[in-house]
Amino acid sequence: MKVVKESIAGTLESSDLLVKVAPSNKGTLDIVIKSHVFKQFGKQIRRVVTDTLAQLSVDAGSIVVEDKGALDCVIRARVQAAIMRACGSNELDWQRLS
Amino acid sequence: MNTTGDFYAVQPKDSPPEMEEIKKLLAANDLELDDQVQMFVVCRRQGRLVACAGLDHYTIKCVAVAEDARGESLSLALGSEVVNLAATRGQFHLFLYSAPHNLPFFRGWGFYPLVEVPERVVLMENSPVAIERYCDSLREQRRPGQKIGGIVLNANPFTLGHRYLVEQAARACHWLHVFVVKEDASLFSYVDRFALVAAGVKNIDNLTLYRGSDYIISRATFPGYFLKDQGIIEHSWAAIDLLLFREYIAPALDITHRYVGTEPFDPVTNNYNAEMKRWLEQAPSAAAPITVIEVPRASTRGTPISASKVRQLLAQRNFSKIQELVPATTLRFLEKQFPALVTTTQ
Repeated sequence: MKVVKESIAGTLESSDLLVKVAPSNKGTLDIVIKSHVFKQFGKQIRRVVTDTLAQLSVDAGSIVVEDKGALDCVIRARVQAAIMRACGSNELDWQRLS
Repeated sequence: MNTTGDFYAVQPKDSPPEMEEIKKLLAANDLELDDQVQMFVVCRRQGRLVACAGLDHYTIKCVAVAEDARGESLSLALGSEVVNLAATRGQFHLFLYSAPHNLPFFRGWGFYPLVEVPERVVLMENSPVAIERYCDSLREQRRPGQKIGGIVLNANPFTLGHRYLVEQAARACHWLHVFVVKEDASLFSYVDRFALVAAGVKNIDNLTLYRGSDYIISRATFPGYFLKDQGIIEHSWAAIDLLLFREYIAPALDITHRYVGTEPFDPVTNNYNAEMKRWLEQAPSAAAPITVIEVPRASTRGTPISASKVRQLLAQRNFSKIQELVPATTLRFLEKQFPALVTTTQ
């Protein structure tokens, strides 16, 4: 999927995360993760984000994650929602979202 | 059940009684209602207004939480609501002004500090990387030379005065970087202003022309600039805009000198010029000082040329006078855009 516009998904509340997506100027995929628990879980959060993006075939865009201690399933759902919005897509490909 | 309270959006002009409640809450937090706020998010708990956050285009202002409602999750919910409200209005890159002691609070909202006027105010943005990415894009435009100039123009519209300033600066520097204010808040649109500047500086070789950005004289960095025609500004906040220039933009391009025309007519711009010396040259900062060069304004028949004068003459369609103040490219544009006034008789 191609990121064509800016989008956000999620909240800043505890156990949630806010995902911000924007098109990339140079066609690169830039992922920035901010989390209070980065030291313990930073690698794991990044893995969930990159896996989710790969599943959706997103290879370009700016992704900023403000994590508030969310579980993996929440991270995946928020990243998916933000990407769907950023791609202007209304059709859900359930196989890719599972 | 939602224990936080009910959140909803309020448009200031639609709800005078609620605005009174907001004013009271702000006053209890030593804040004033900013009349540039277009939309408030409020939280009501058992009928009582306990929190508010205002949105002025892409800047968050007037944030307050009642004292007895603090220390819980309310503020993060408030932050989420206002960020989501901005998104529904098409605004994703957001700025926020905070007192320095509240900085940790807004870090929790995903905002990061850009510049600080010590003990007064911090400008924050909702990205940990946006300013660096912007500076990276500027760094690609770096030019060699010991004396590198910078000019920021609104050019509303481009006059012979702007032309003279750019010429003088380009002559004095190895390279000159010129920025055109991006905000669409002036009589002439950004696209038109930019095109007229581009046409007007065409034959100057040692110059790069830039589209403006949210970081250079924008509603976020310098809200007062866009209110000046209304004559209602109290604070110019020029310090924030100038520190951004000194600490980010100038280092990215190795700018050593900032050029500006003297300002005989416009008090806001005049004040901006005075503040320039203070914040670019004198104020303590991690960034190197930038020398401010004031170039005396070009005159025609003893009258300094200014864009505001052109706008006045334009209102009267006085093209013969305008001709003396603007280059041919600007004149052609104005004649096309503003046909002679037609007087209708019944």
